[in-house]
Amino acid sequence: MGDLNITVTKSPNANRPEQQPPDRQARPARDDHDYATLLRAAQSGNTQAMERLLMRAQEVAYRFSQMVCGHADDADDAMQEALLKTYRYASRIREPEAFRTWLYRTVKNACLIGRRRRVGQPAHLLSLDDMMPGLEGELHRIDVVDPRRRPDEQALNAALRRRLRQAFSALPPPYRLVVFLREMEGLSTRQVAQVAGISEANVKTRLHRARLFLRQELEKS
Amino acid sequence: MKPDARSRCRGLLERLSRYVDGDLTARERRTVMAHLHRCPCCEQFAASLRRTVQACHEAGRRRLPSDVRARAQARIQALLAEKQRVEDIRLKRGTTSC
Repeated sequence: MGDLNITVTKSPNANRPEQQPPDRQARPARDDHDYATLLRAAQSGNTQAMERLLMRAQEVAYRFSQMVCGHADDADDAMQEALLKTYRYASRIREPEAFRTWLYRTVKNACLIGRRRRVGQPAHLLSLDDMMPGLEGELHRIDVVDPRRRPDEQALNAALRRRLRQAFSALPPPYRLVVFLREMEGLSTRQVAQVAGISEANVKTRLHRARLFLRQELEKS
Repeated sequence: MKPDARSRCRGLLERLSRYVDGDLTARERRTVMAHLHRCPCCEQFAASLRRTVQACHEAGRRRLPSDVRARAQARIQALLAEKQRVEDIRLKRGTTSC
C-alpha cells in the first residue's frame, strides 16, 4: 500500500505525461480505515462515534440520491433507510473494513426501490452508444464551500461544475453509478464492483467509456 | 496520418484510463508515455482526460446543504432518544421486578 497521505489534488504538472500518476488506492484505504474506526468505537458504546457514523450514512444516501438517482424527493427516504439500517446492523457487522461497501450497497438498494416505484423509469442497462439526452431528471445543486479559492477561480469552477453536472446527468444510470462511486466517492475498483454487482473488468470498461463521454461534453464549451 | 499510426492512437485510447489511474504495468506505461511524447494529439487528449477525472474528484468533495444536515441531525437525535427511552423502561422494569 502506498503513502496514505497522498491526496488527489492536481499539481501544476499534472498534465505532463512523464509524471507519475497519483496513487488511486490511497484514498479508499484511508476512508475505509475511518469508517472501520468509527464503527468499532460505535460498537463499543461510544455515542459520539455512533452519531458520526449515522451522519456519514445519511450523507452517503443523500449524495447517492442526488447524483445517481437524480430525484430530490427520494433523498429523505434513502437517508432514513440508511440511518435505520446502519443503526440496526452496526453492532452485528463482523468485518468493520467491509462496512463502507455494505453501506453503499444498502443505499443503492434503497434508491433502486424508490426508483422502481416510479413510472417510466429506465430500469435496464443502457449502452452509451444508444444513449439519448435527457434520460434522467436534472440534478440539484449541492453546496460547495472552499474558502481557499479566489472568486475568479470559484466562478470558473462553478461553470465547470455546472457543465459536469449536465454531462453527468446525461450518463445512463449504470455508468453514472460507477463514476459516482469511483471518482466522486473514492471507492476502489474492487469495492465498486461489489456495490454495483459487476466484475472489476466491467467497472474499468464502464469507467473508461463514461470518462470519454464526460471529457467530450466538458471540452465542447 | 498513416493507418498504422491511427491504430496506435486507437490502441492508446483504450489504455488511457488505466494510464491516468496508474493501473498499467511499467512496460505498458513506458509505451504510452513514449507515444504521448511523439503524438501531440494524444497528449492533448490525455491532458483533457486528466482534467475530466480531476473535475469529477472535486465534484465529490461536497458538504450537505445546511437544511439537509439539520434534518439528518434531528433524525439521529430522535433515534438515539428513542433508544434511551426504551433502555430506561427496560431498566425500570428490571429494578421493580427485583
